[in-house]
Amino acid sequence: MTHAAWLLPALPALAAVLGLFAGTRVAGGPAVPALAGTGVAFVVSLLLLGAVEGSPATVHESAVAWTPIGGQTLHVGTRVDGLVAVVAVMVCVVALLVQVYSTAYMAGDPRYSVYAAEVSLFTAAMLLVVVASNLFELLVGWELMGLCSYLLVGHYWQTEGARAAAVKAFVTTRFGDAAFLIGIFVVGGHAGSFEIGDVVRSPGSHGAVLTAGAVLLLGGVIGKSAQFPLHVWLPDAMAGPTPISALIHAATMVAAGIFVVARLYPVFLAAPVALTVLGIIACITMLGAALVALAEDDLKRVLAWSTVSQLAYMAAGLAVRGWTAGIYHLLTHAAFKALLFLAAGSVLRTVGTNLMSEMGGLRRAMPVTFVTALVGAAALAGLPPFAGAFSKDGILDAAHERGGALGTAVYAVGLATVLVTAAYVTRMVVRTFLGDYRGNAQTRLHESPLVMTAPLVLLATAAVGLGLPVLPDGWGVARWLDAPLGTTELHVAAGGVALSTGLVLLAGAAVYALWRRNPAADPVAVLGRARRPLAAAFGVDAFYDRAIVRPLHALARGVLRVDDGGLDAAVEGSGATASGLGGGLRRLQNGNVQAYASGLVIAVLALVIGVSLAVAR
Amino acid sequence: MSLTQSIDYAAISPPLVVVVTAVVVLLADLFVPPSLRRLLAPLALTGSLGALGVTAWLATGGTRSTFCLAGGGCSYVADDFATYFQIVVLAALVVVLLLSFPLFDERERVPSGEFLALLLMSVSGMLVVAAGRDLLTLLIGLEVVSLPAFVLVGLRRGDPRGVEAALKFFIFSVVSTALTVYGIALAYGATGSIELHHIARALTTLHAGSGAMSATAAAGVVLVLVGFGFKVAAVPFHFWAPDTYQGAPVPVAAFLSVASKAAGFAGLIVLLTVAFRPYADVWGPAVGVLAAVSMTVGNLVALRQRHVVRLLAWSTVAHAGYLLMPLAVASGHLRDGVRATLAYLGIYAAMNLGAFGCVVLVRRTRPRLAVDDLRGLVSRAPATAVAFAFFLTALAGLPPGVAGLFAKVVVLRAAVDGHVTWLAVVAAVNTVIGLAYYLRLAAVMFLPADAAEPADVRDGTRDWPVAAGVAVAAAVTVVLSVYPQPLLHLADLAAF
Amino acid sequence: MIAILLGLPALGALVLGLVPLPSRSARIVGTAFAAATFVVAVVVAARFDYGAGARMQDVVDDRWLPAVGVRFHLGVDGISLPLVLLTALLVVLCAATVADRLMMSVVLLLEVGMLGTFVALDLVLFFVFFEVVLIPMYVLIAVWGGPRRRPAATKFILFTLLGSGLMLVGFLVMYGATGTFDMTALARAHGRGVTAGTQLLAGTLMMVGFGVKSPMWPLHTWLPDAHTEAPTVGSVLLAGVLLKMGTYGFVRIVVPDLPSAAHDLAPALGCLAVAGILWACLACLALARGEHADLKRLIAFSSVGHMGFVLLGIATLTSVGIQGALIGNVAHGVITGLLFFLVGGVKDRFHTSDVTDLGGGLLAKLPALGGLLLVASIASLGLPGLAGFWGEMLALLGSYSPAAGLSRPLFVTLTGLAAAGTVLTAVYFLAMLRRVDFGVVTDRWRGERITDAAAVDLVAWTPLVVLAVGIGVWPGLVLRVSESAVRGLLG
Repeated sequence: MTHAAWLLPALPALAAVLGLFAGTRVAGGPAVPALAGTGVAFVVSLLLLGAVEGSPATVHESAVAWTPIGGQTLHVGTRVDGLVAVVAVMVCVVALLVQVYSTAYMAGDPRYSVYAAEVSLFTAAMLLVVVASNLFELLVGWELMGLCSYLLVGHYWQTEGARAAAVKAFVTTRFGDAAFLIGIFVVGGHAGSFEIGDVVRSPGSHGAVLTAGAVLLLGGVIGKSAQFPLHVWLPDAMAGPTPISALIHAATMVAAGIFVVARLYPVFLAAPVALTVLGIIACITMLGAALVALAEDDLKRVLAWSTVSQLAYMAAGLAVRGWTAGIYHLLTHAAFKALLFLAAGSVLRTVGTNLMSEMGGLRRAMPVTFVTALVGAAALAGLPPFAGAFSKDGILDAAHERGGALGTAVYAVGLATVLVTAAYVTRMVVRTFLGDYRGNAQTRLHESPLVMTAPLVLLATAAVGLGLPVLPDGWGVARWLDAPLGTTELHVAAGGVALSTGLVLLAGAAVYALWRRNPAADPVAVLGRARRPLAAAFGVDAFYDRAIVRPLHALARGVLRVDDGGLDAAVEGSGATASGLGGGLRRLQNGNVQAYASGLVIAVLALVIGVSLAVAR
Repeated sequence: MSLTQSIDYAAISPPLVVVVTAVVVLLADLFVPPSLRRLLAPLALTGSLGALGVTAWLATGGTRSTFCLAGGGCSYVADDFATYFQIVVLAALVVVLLLSFPLFDERERVPSGEFLALLLMSVSGMLVVAAGRDLLTLLIGLEVVSLPAFVLVGLRRGDPRGVEAALKFFIFSVVSTALTVYGIALAYGATGSIELHHIARALTTLHAGSGAMSATAAAGVVLVLVGFGFKVAAVPFHFWAPDTYQGAPVPVAAFLSVASKAAGFAGLIVLLTVAFRPYADVWGPAVGVLAAVSMTVGNLVALRQRHVVRLLAWSTVAHAGYLLMPLAVASGHLRDGVRATLAYLGIYAAMNLGAFGCVVLVRRTRPRLAVDDLRGLVSRAPATAVAFAFFLTALAGLPPGVAGLFAKVVVLRAAVDGHVTWLAVVAAVNTVIGLAYYLRLAAVMFLPADAAEPADVRDGTRDWPVAAGVAVAAAVTVVLSVYPQPLLHLADLAAF
Repeated sequence: MIAILLGLPALGALVLGLVPLPSRSARIVGTAFAAATFVVAVVVAARFDYGAGARMQDVVDDRWLPAVGVRFHLGVDGISLPLVLLTALLVVLCAATVADRLMMSVVLLLEVGMLGTFVALDLVLFFVFFEVVLIPMYVLIAVWGGPRRRPAATKFILFTLLGSGLMLVGFLVMYGATGTFDMTALARAHGRGVTAGTQLLAGTLMMVGFGVKSPMWPLHTWLPDAHTEAPTVGSVLLAGVLLKMGTYGFVRIVVPDLPSAAHDLAPALGCLAVAGILWACLACLALARGEHADLKRLIAFSSVGHMGFVLLGIATLTSVGIQGALIGNVAHGVITGLLFFLVGGVKDRFHTSDVTDLGGGLLAKLPALGGLLLVASIASLGLPGLAGFWGEMLALLGSYSPAAGLSRPLFVTLTGLAAAGTVLTAVYFLAMLRRVDFGVVTDRWRGERITDAAAVDLVAWTPLVVLAVGIGVWPGLVLRVSESAVRGLLG
């Protein structure tokens, strides 16, 4: 079975090609190939999951020679183990649900067929990253995802915002990817091979080279997973259609960064410095993003910032060797964040705005959306028994166990973030669903169609169900995930859960109380002046603009000026000099015989005297 | 020194045939009725073809010497070197004659009899120079070349520019000949001989020890060099060339730029590589400098020329530089150098004559010969335009004129092998400057003609002989572009 | 076989040049000749023994000019074969779009020079073919070019001649030291018996020659003008093939024949290459964002950057880097060729290629053309999975671990800078797309009825798209062919 893993990327890719060229011609429209491709891929992934169940540590590899480079030969193929199977299923589920949801959400969009094809292609790219057995093969999927995200974020390219966001997303991540590529060189060079199997087998000495390589790889990771300082693209990417945010910016592409770290974990274990760097970055991102989410009025951007913050949890988990906890959170987050995005989509489609200040009281009109969103919110905030609680606490527990400066820092910041998270989640819910509708009275509020609500329900079930494995005598994650040596097992302490639950309730209650005092006002108003820096996302964007973008453009203009004016002028100048010289010499040629003769005689005398002297001495 | 000499008439047959033809033409010019004068040119043509045939036959045989001294050494030697030059010169003569046909109609007012006779006289001198092997023979030969040439330049009746050009040509010729004679005198004084091999031997001993005598010889060498520098129009002895070429009838300019230059090189090579070889370390660098300056100045000034003939004149100055370059090599590689110069000369003759021939064709309709007058030539006379452009690319050394490219390769190779790479680099850069003006000239012909196109002033005279001449040059150049091996082989045989 | 490869286009050029055919049948005849030539190239590729890619195959070796030691020596190996195929293909695609008889003749003449350069195995013969392309390309630009065509054409030919003149002197210096023009013999000798000084002299002279052609910063300034003024066919062949003649020369002659010179010059070459990459990226960025920038000029500058990666690969003197250079050559030929075709298509329809005048919304106005422009740009910015990636990646990989004896720190620095170049490449291409492809159609064009890419266009462009994807997905197509040959080069 595992030999069929190549079908995972192949099927959606095929669907993409069909959809693009024949999408409008097949009976039932472009949705058919898209759904079919993703659906079959989903089945394959389930079979894969079955195949690895019980023995997640065993690696099933199958590859063929790809191309010679210099001395060695690159192979292309699949490398399947528990991690791969689990993540593959997760990807397929979300992708399939998003495709279903989109049929309604994007109904009537003139470029739907292209959209559906792009989503399929994206799915293929992500699955390629998941199953890849070679670093360059992985890179291909990695960058292809970037391209699809560029195209999908820019789907509404008639709007300036979408165009800008698309470019920003691609360029920011590619900046990280440049480091990622060199990281591949370093790590592969260190292992003497670019096959993932060889790279993770024996990372060998904890050398400076390997550390450098790991840190460079992190460059790509923080780019794709929107970690500080490369996080700036994700919030803007909300300019894209909401369903793709559920896919790309919740479950898959942003998670790919975390996945790659988990995939190459032995390398990072051999380079502890890299893990420390990752931990520090995670701490900054975790709390910072949560704070910004607290002040954000745009519903989707709130979710975006929260994604940034939650990804930081996963990163932190991996940083403190909570490998299983990190992956577990990746799964649960995929469920509840996709759920929240799709719910948001359902809301936006009804009220026609992203701004929470123009929402409120939607619970009556949209009961299903409300309930499912509530589940997602609880999971995000980390209330037991919802999945998010256990995975997050697993990470905090791992940080506690890891101890030391890093562990303590992660633990402390993690708890602090729990508070803030609960606060912005509560605010989000109350501002959107509770109280009275503040938006335009004309809009007819109504629940979304079944094809949109059904995915919500399914994801909500997942958001609950994924909590089961860690409940006392649950199924146990270990049947699918095998933590590499030197990592802490997933373990959720009752004490930890109690503590964080307490914090969640505390913050949630506080915000709720604030809101009750004046349901029309934004609870975050109490922050007063402190709100401004949060709303400005700590001015990172502005800083980049001043420190990088503008100087770069100035430099570019300078270069062009020099190329036209300087280099070129020098060249053409030499031409002018030549003909100028010619003119000068021609003036000697003035038709005056005496002048010629004297010139001749002088020349001769000079020659004769010179030579004679030369010989005589 | 016995004065009884047996003369080998076979050896001197080429100049002999030419001179005889000249005399016949003169007499015919005196005695035939004017109506038959138009037959003079064909007559001269036949004669020169005959001379060409004789020379070819001579070339197939072994070396023949005559006017030999008892002390060994001969004044006139018809070896491969001599015949190579004689063939080049005579071939050039044939083409020039073809180009000259239009000169003899009333409008040009050129007396055909004198013209042809003088032309043949001058050529006979060249043939002597090519075979002359002592200082006096060479000197006499040179004078026989020059004297008729002055007249040829100014022959067009009532043309002040022609007269001025002739005067200029004369003055410079005299000055330079004086210098040559003085140089020869010094060399003779230093060595006590006029026979080249004797001189060589004497100079070897002289050169070993330095001092006054050696310096005298060196001065002589340099002065001789100067004399020939004038003949080949190398900078700074080129001043006469542009004005003379422009003032003279175009065929005469072609004649001077090819045949006269060839004769100059023949004498120069003989003197330098035979007589003055021991002083190669003296004249080698001097020649190198002359070469570099000639090609650079020639090309630079040509950049700014607005008159077609002047432009070509300056280009011939530049080519004198390319021709001199291989002679500047270290003495060990002199033979390769000579070989390269000979090969280049052969190719240069074909392409340069072709270019001038095209000018003659153009002149029939555009007497002003300003570069801009060539606008739209392609639509008016496509064949001429294409041929002209072809010859220009050849002079520039670019495909489709591959012959020129081979020529450049040959001389550059000689320079590099002879350890004067610096000169090769100068030449490489010069090809760029050269291309700049050749290309401008070629491009003009393919531009759309001006709206205000001056009416063609062509008269009834058919210029098929000119066309034939151009065709011959074109054919040769094309063959040399595809398979120059025969020429290169002959040059190889001819080189000392 | 190879003689036919050169003979067919020559014959075609002659026929079209002399026989006054009406332009319609001239197009058919010319395309037929080009197609036949391509078929011959394919036959050569089919007969090629891929097991022995390092060996010269289909060799023609006759005496030609013994007096100067020049032989008529032709052949293909794993290095030249891909370029031969690329050239033949591009010429067919170009010919299909040429309507003018003389232009067709010139294009075929150009093909003779291009193919000849890639198959010549004698330095003088190589030089002759190297020069053969000059006049035709000059004519293409000067006769059928844009408003400022004359100066651009002159600049092109003078620049290139300056380079090739010095290059010839370099060849002759080699000859002086080895006594042969035979490239295979010289490659086998690997510079044995040639002093380091002589090698350095020859190498430097050749570096200038090939550098001008490649083009290598700062000798590139002829390129933007030439491209901006050249007709579409000229731009395609200029970018698609002519530039490769420079880098091919480095690989074919400098690297194997002058090892020590290559070694001495590698750092300089690497630095200039990276300077070119960054310089070009910044210039393109300024163009993509500036007012009234010509798309053709932008793509021309981008070529300078891409060829910079090729030169960097060569400078590493590793088989990885040089393989990167070769696949980079092919990829750039395919992708940039496509880009110039597309911009030509835009210019034919809008009668301008000025970003400001075009406004935006090409994708909305002409979906097919806009879509292809999107694909080509993405390929050109080196997205993994498309052809452009492998050249850049291998060049970077090579310079991350350069040949023994080259300064590792220097080349690692260059790797970093070049990697930054890849980011900038993305920046300017996306800036261009954002401005031209996306967005809304400006009022100026909204009313106009402009037809999208026609079937004939798609026929001409599709092969290039297929190649860009095919080589990207399966780089072995090219790299397998050149692998053993490249190892042979480095001895």
